[in-house]
Amino acid sequence: MITQEKLTILTESAKYDVSCSSSGSKRKNDGGIGNGYASGCCHSFTPDGRCISLLKILLSNDCIYDCKYCPSRVSKDIPRATATVEEICELTVDFYKRNYIEGLFLSSAVHKNPNYTMERLLLVVKKLRLEYNFHGYIHLKGIPRADESLNREAGKYADRMSYNIELPSEQSLKLLAPQKSKESLLLPMKQLTSERNIFVEEKKKGLLKGHFLPAGQTTQMIVGASPERDGSILRLTQALYRKMELRRVYYSSYTPVVEDSLLPSVPVGQLREHRLYQADWLLRFYGFSVEEIVEENRNLDLELDPKCAWALRNMQLFPVEINRAPLEVLLRVPGIGARNAHKIISARAYTKLTFEDLIKMKIALKRAKHFITCNGKFYGAKNELAVRGLLTADEVGENAVQLSLFDDFTRFSNQKNALMALHGQL
Amino acid sequence: MIYFFDGSTNGFLTAFLTGYHDERARVTSKKTQLTIGDEPYYIKTDDKLAERAKARLLYFDPECMHDLDLLLRSGDSDSEQTAYLYFKTLAKSGKPVRNMLSIPAVFSAVEKMRRVGLEVHRLHGFIRFMETASGALYAPFSPDNDICDLLLPHFRARLPKYPFVLHDITRKKCAVYDGKNSFVAPLDKAEVLLSANEREWQALFTRYFHAVNIPSRERLAQQRNYLPMRYRKFMVETQGEKKR
Repeated sequence: MITQEKLTILTESAKYDVSCSSSGSKRKNDGGIGNGYASGCCHSFTPDGRCISLLKILLSNDCIYDCKYCPSRVSKDIPRATATVEEICELTVDFYKRNYIEGLFLSSAVHKNPNYTMERLLLVVKKLRLEYNFHGYIHLKGIPRADESLNREAGKYADRMSYNIELPSEQSLKLLAPQKSKESLLLPMKQLTSERNIFVEEKKKGLLKGHFLPAGQTTQMIVGASPERDGSILRLTQALYRKMELRRVYYSSYTPVVEDSLLPSVPVGQLREHRLYQADWLLRFYGFSVEEIVEENRNLDLELDPKCAWALRNMQLFPVEINRAPLEVLLRVPGIGARNAHKIISARAYTKLTFEDLIKMKIALKRAKHFITCNGKFYGAKNELAVRGLLTADEVGENAVQLSLFDDFTRFSNQKNALMALHGQL
Repeated sequence: MIYFFDGSTNGFLTAFLTGYHDERARVTSKKTQLTIGDEPYYIKTDDKLAERAKARLLYFDPECMHDLDLLLRSGDSDSEQTAYLYFKTLAKSGKPVRNMLSIPAVFSAVEKMRRVGLEVHRLHGFIRFMETASGALYAPFSPDNDICDLLLPHFRARLPKYPFVLHDITRKKCAVYDGKNSFVAPLDKAEVLLSANEREWQALFTRYFHAVNIPSRERLAQQRNYLPMRYRKFMVETQGEKKR
């Protein structure tokens, strides 16, 4: 059994990986232990509000690289540990059996060299699948610059793989992670995408059996460690979704865990990360393109959510009649999400919906009322300026914090300046 | 009139048909405080009458019995009355009504069904098994709704080699999988002898739970929304938590 100390070291080094999803795999139990849960399943929630779905752990935090932002970088004096293949397998199966986790999220620092590290990761995954007969979810972190054949082999056993882009531009990578390059991250992603597509085609024809990354690939970017704007981050995201067919792009607002003159010394607010996720949702589920959301050299408006901001820029398209608007138009109304849009579509087939009906159906109208009519009636504010004022006031109210006597007031009053300084505007 | 039935599906259908023309009917199987003017009527389950009602309702909506099953599992005090009003709406309209969400009775029923489904999904994750000395797994829990047997297929599919017991402490019943068959049985108290390593695994997971947390990003309200306090009682990682 792995010791508590080793588990703590390897978990603390892995906890900044944002990905926690266990969805997308329908792997069946073949007489062993575990199966896939297509919609994903959360097993617990930590006090930071994040879910525990997978056992997020490093195989080793003993790294040869010196990425400036990384808590495990070689130049940092921290306790180091390396788990054995057997320890990780045993831990996964025993946690899984007790229903603590949905599967394993295995990553590693680059230990000795990329191929050696990737081989060890592969050993764990193969042992779990072949010896322990484990059919639960496995998310494997790919090691940049590892051999193509190792990636291919890993794809056969893992449900999902990911290569973290970390920094959204090549320039930032050169500056903060000099041992990584754009190619070393994008090439394995491309390789896995094309091999997965070939596998799916062959499987359809009945020529192949088994799995090849059934839950696809994801990636992660740190927001705020480098000067890229939200516009360029989201353009990269859109390209990754469209060209690399990634399932998810995760964002992690920068928190200074290591000191370096090249890195900002203040954390980036969680609100920026939140806005990026909202914009990401618009790209994936609401039919928006990045060009509609934000210009390339600008950040998202922190005061308004991206859908509201878009609607206010396009007031000529509103109000829309709730009883006639098609689904894709309803999805663009601020305050109406995918679930409520479908509820409206179902309910209006039987009756003409009024505002009272929407209230009975518990559809939040605080924002939506400015952009819709119900049966010809409009209850929103009359002009764009008033709408903007009301919506901004709501958002500010939602994000407001009660100050105490001991709070550092300058932190709040200068937040905007701090952000501007961070992005090089001051 | 308040129609009391035994909590079974056929009991509900008998009460439904008996009280169908009563405009002020209230249907329940739970303990209810009668007020002045309330008249109790104790329904004796009539299987023939229930079958008649069932056949008619299925003619209107082939999936309505699934809805009834979920509604009768709901732990809300008014769930049976909601089911009564929902089925009355169905009988009056003569076609499926679950999408007519602007009708309060339908919306309320759909919400209750959604909440039962949500709890099943949540407990797929929040159930915590303990390994006993015999190798079987035991999980006590206390759900809001009567969903003990709805959890069985999920765990049976993923742990086919492990016998397990899901013990609903509140309703004093359990869902059992013995390695081959599964069934539901009454169970008041269980004495469990844990395996030699069980406490160590529990301590290890508790350690993991604290190590994976990022203290500088504390969001307790969000944690409470996703993991309500009532479920934490049976989860090993939250055992030492102080009440806030």
